[in-house]
Parts: sequence; C-alpha cells; structure tokens
Amino acid sequence: MIIPATSRTPEVTFTAEGCTIKGECYPEDISEFSAPIIKHLDNDLTESNPYSVEIELYYFNSSSAKFFFDLFESLDESAAVNKQLKVIWKYREEDDTMLDAGEEFQEDLQNLKFSLEALV
Amino acid sequence: MNNKSIQLHELMLARGTFFCYAGPLSEQVLTSISAVVREQLTDAQTDLSIKNTVFSIFIEQAQNIIRYSGARLEGSGVGSVSISHTDSGFMLESVNEISLADKERVEQVLRELKEMDASELKSAYRQRIKSGPPRGSVGAGLGFIEVARRSSSFDYSFEQRENKTLFLYRGWVAAAKASAFSS
Repeated sequence: MIIPATSRTPEVTFTAEGCTIKGECYPEDISEFSAPIIKHLDNDLTESNPYSVEIELYYFNSSSAKFFFDLFESLDESAAVNKQLKVIWKYREEDDTMLDAGEEFQEDLQNLKFSLEALV
Repeated sequence: MNNKSIQLHELMLARGTFFCYAGPLSEQVLTSISAVVREQLTDAQTDLSIKNTVFSIFIEQAQNIIRYSGARLEGSGVGSVSISHTDSGFMLESVNEISLADKERVEQVLRELKEMDASELKSAYRQRIKSGPPRGSVGAGLGFIEVARRSSSFDYSFEQRENKTLFLYRGWVAAAKASAFSS
C-alpha cells in the first residue's frame, strides 16, 4: 500500500516486511499525516516478525520532529520484544542537517537497531 | 504613490531581499510560497545543509505567523516574512502583531534561549520533545528552540504602534558566498 507524497508530506509505502517514508515532511496537520502510519504499524508489527522502517527525509519541521521522536520511542519499546525490528535512517551524504537529526534520534534508544546510511 | 513603489523596490534591492511576502498567511499560502523559496534557494546556494537550514527557519517563522499572529483574517495570520542576502550569508525576518499576553510569554522564552549555548539548547530541545508542547501551543512547541539551534544567531524586538504591538524576529545563517545576484 502506498500513500503518495504531497508537496509537504513524504511518500509512505507499507509492505508486510516494513515501511518506507521518503520525501519532505512539514504538513499542515501532523496528526492527519501520522494517523495512518501509526495504524499500519499497529497492525503489521507483531512480536517477532522481521520488520524494517526506512526513513529518507530531506527536510522536516519541528512539529514533525515530535512525531518522529514519538514513533522511535514506540518502536524502541516494541524492539524490547521483537529483535527483528530495525530502523534505517537514510540521509544525503552532503546534508549534515539530516545526519545530525538521525544521530539525535538515535541517542535515546535502548533496544531498537537504528542505523544511519549515507546516500551518495 | 509611485514614489513609494520605487522606494519599496530600492529598499528591497539595497537590503538584498530576494523573497518577501506580506499579508494573510495560511497553510495553503505557505504551500505555494515555500515552493518559490525552495526554488530561489536552489539558485542562491549549493550547500544542502545551508539550504535546509535557511528553509527550516523560514518555515518555522511562517508557521509562527499562521498560528500565533495577533492580526487574523479568516483563519489566516497576518504578517510578513522575508529572506535577504547579507555579506555573511542569509537573514530571515518575520514581523507580526502580537497580543500582550503572547508578548510576555514569547519574550521570556526568547530571552532564555538567547542566553543558552549549543549544548544547553540541545538539552532544552530534548526536554521539550520528550515532554510535549506547553499549554497554548498549537505545534510541538519546538519552533523557537529549532531556530535558536539552527541559526548562526537570532534576535527579536517588540515595537509599540498606537494600540498594537509588533513582533520582529530575525535569524541569520552564515554562508560563504550568498549569490552572484547580491554582488
């Protein structure tokens, strides 16, 4: 299933093995954007299935930062049980702002595998 | 009248202002003007980090006006946002009316943020993102901290105009070479 990108929201793709979020994120209403993502994750994520969340963002605003922070916190809790859950944070190599953002999200996590991947 | 038009033109060029919007600002308007700003930044700056930093301050300032401007028009906040070239990079400005209650709150927040160094700003950001927005905030309550962290420097002032107060909020972003346009 694909939620197409808009000029202010990224494309979101769901499969049985994971979810990909790709683009820019500064929606008018963050909860409108985030609700279907949270719903899908609730449905698709079990205690043991391999599941990977790939995030490739070029820009996000401060309201979206709160959503991603909460998302990773919730995935971190799930990862205490599901060892096959992981997040891949992709950033354009020359964009330090998105690398810094990824590193900061990474800092608080206890259980979740969260890797940073430079796009060359 | 004509004279004023010429003055405006000259003032904007003299200040290196390559983008300015003044009037009612809604999320729909922001969608359109942010595409323009993106386009202009692509022409002005090749460094992705700098481009992103300028863009993010612009968005935070614009959303401030949309959400909190004291002057409203059918759901829009009235104010102005502009981006200018300077000798050392970019300057982003926003101006909007502000209520007295908001002025006190905003002034206190910005005064505190201005005193903080980078690591204090980082912990303020992390504290806020964990605890969630303060009362009366429409967004995540992170906008001012975000601008303080991302800008090379920022300042603010309040101006009394008869029965209203105007809030000027400025952020600077350092960049080696702004543009051929500003030569």
